[in-house]
Amino acid sequence: MNTHSIPAVSASNVEMQFPGLLAVKDANFELDNGRFLTILGPSGSGKTTLLRMIAGFLKPTRGEIFIKGKEVSAVAPNKRSVGMVFQKLALFPHMTAAQNVAFPLKMRRFDAKKIPARVSEFLNLVRLDGLEDRRMNELSGGQQQRVAIARALVFEPDLLLLDEPLAALDRKLREEMQLEFRRIQKELGVTTINVTHDQREALVVSDQIIVMDHGEIQQDASPTQMYRTPHNPFVANFIGVTNLFVGQLAAVSGEAVDVTIGALTLSGILRSSPETAVLGAQVRCAVRAEQIRISAALDALGELDAAFQGTVKDVIFEGERLLYELSIPELGDDPVRIFHHDQNDFATHDVGETVHIGWMNRDMHIFVAP
Amino acid sequence: MNRPRSQQIVYWSLVILTLLTLSAPTFVVLGASFTSGNIIQFPPDGFSLKWYAAIIGEQNLRDAFGRSLIVATICVLVSLPTGTLAGIALSKFRIRGANAIQIYLLLPFTIPLIGSGIGLMLAFGDAGILGNLWPIGIATAVINLPFMIWAVSSSAVGLDPDLELAAQSCGAGPVQTFFSVTLPAVAPGVITGSLLMFILSLNEFLVSLLLVDARIVTLPVQIYNSIRSIITPDLAAVSVVFIVVAMLAIAALDKLVGLEIFLKSK
Repeated sequence: MNTHSIPAVSASNVEMQFPGLLAVKDANFELDNGRFLTILGPSGSGKTTLLRMIAGFLKPTRGEIFIKGKEVSAVAPNKRSVGMVFQKLALFPHMTAAQNVAFPLKMRRFDAKKIPARVSEFLNLVRLDGLEDRRMNELSGGQQQRVAIARALVFEPDLLLLDEPLAALDRKLREEMQLEFRRIQKELGVTTINVTHDQREALVVSDQIIVMDHGEIQQDASPTQMYRTPHNPFVANFIGVTNLFVGQLAAVSGEAVDVTIGALTLSGILRSSPETAVLGAQVRCAVRAEQIRISAALDALGELDAAFQGTVKDVIFEGERLLYELSIPELGDDPVRIFHHDQNDFATHDVGETVHIGWMNRDMHIFVAP
Repeated sequence: MNRPRSQQIVYWSLVILTLLTLSAPTFVVLGASFTSGNIIQFPPDGFSLKWYAAIIGEQNLRDAFGRSLIVATICVLVSLPTGTLAGIALSKFRIRGANAIQIYLLLPFTIPLIGSGIGLMLAFGDAGILGNLWPIGIATAVINLPFMIWAVSSSAVGLDPDLELAAQSCGAGPVQTFFSVTLPAVAPGVITGSLLMFILSLNEFLVSLLLVDARIVTLPVQIYNSIRSIITPDLAAVSVVFIVVAMLAIAALDKLVGLEIFLKSK
């Protein structure tokens, strides 16, 4: 991969203060050329506000945004080299597919003779050849998405922004379009920032993920890092299905820590900064639903660091996997959630059945409560 | 729908009654205009086109009709840009005192036309411009402007604010954005409003009456003057011409706006 010293996009202490609402607090990040970044967060987390500041539709109340090393606060959106796909697509209804794609070229004063060739090149890229003369209401949802992508990319912008354009699609089409975005992004090598609340989408398409909550960046990491080493309970809970137990810090030796949960003492990996790890501090312990093993017989579980007995409260069939909700009084009142997808042994446990569960210490993430 | 028979009879009777009531005046005047007699009456006495021939031959009516067309055109030329911009602004921006502005724009409706007419007459008289046709066009534009604004804002309310942002991210400046995206998006409202303004201005009687003098009577005033002497079937023929102009405008509206709405996505 091409490594330039200047990042394609960077933000430095960016803040957006709306009347009565601090939408983005002190955001800092860097994105390298040609990479695909996803800003992930629940609605109201400030992710769209951050994106709109990068697009130039909002001016940060503090801080600086750089595109290709150039500070852009004073640059109008139409003077930035940024293509955008909007949540509701915002295609021009009075124009055909080809006219929509040609529009940015006309506005950016491309050589008029070269426009038709460029438009058909990009309609080919998004696999819409043959539909040039269709109006927007004559295209399906997926086809409209493709027109919007072509319109955002046709002028070869330095940066492509995606404002949750897939949110309204049904699951099958959404997954298809996720891969399509990934293919086009790789083919053109365009630096991309995508905003979504869909953690699966973030893991599938991104090189880099930023998780936001309440206007603050919670973690900035690669998808695998984000999944394996969440920085705080919010990230652990937002990516994947996670069980959280409340306990107290009992012993610390480097990353490995012991915690007490009720009468139990368990071991896990400390994910908060070491200086916060004071003995007796309140902690939250996170174990992912897919990292807990479940079986009717204790022997069948194999080697485990922590093992419990519990009662099945509910079984939810999700197709490729089962979700069990277990009652384990030693671990608190909340049901413990476990995914089971052993394809060879899809023997299910019934509600009311007593089962054995367990996990490895390396799969328990410990966060010191702030 | 499977309703009991008695219910269906009641519904249909109501529908037919409504249609009859609404269209009766039109049919009466249409019938009366084709009479071959010399008195205006319905049912007509025989059939002839002589009263149409008469109004075509009548210089006064032809001139008055021409003047009314000029007044209506001026009215549209004045109200189209002002009403379009005001309609977009009122629905797009949260303007401080937007309510007050709405009420202010409603004022021409709340004041009886005779009141606005006298006011305009005094103002135009002071300015020394009475006796021209164009002040009548402006007057009808002022009085009917709320129709234009409503027509445009009803289109502009449905306008996705992201459309303008999308145009900007495509590289369009503010003026290009307005002409290439905003205006086409509110075009149905602009067309509806303009045709409405044209018809309202063409038909405007009371305000015209106060602003014209004998040399520049408009068609409604000309008809009024004729009623005061002898009521002859040529008035019915003139009315039919009015109805035909209005129907042409509605047909044009249906063709243009119907088409526009058809082109809109979703």
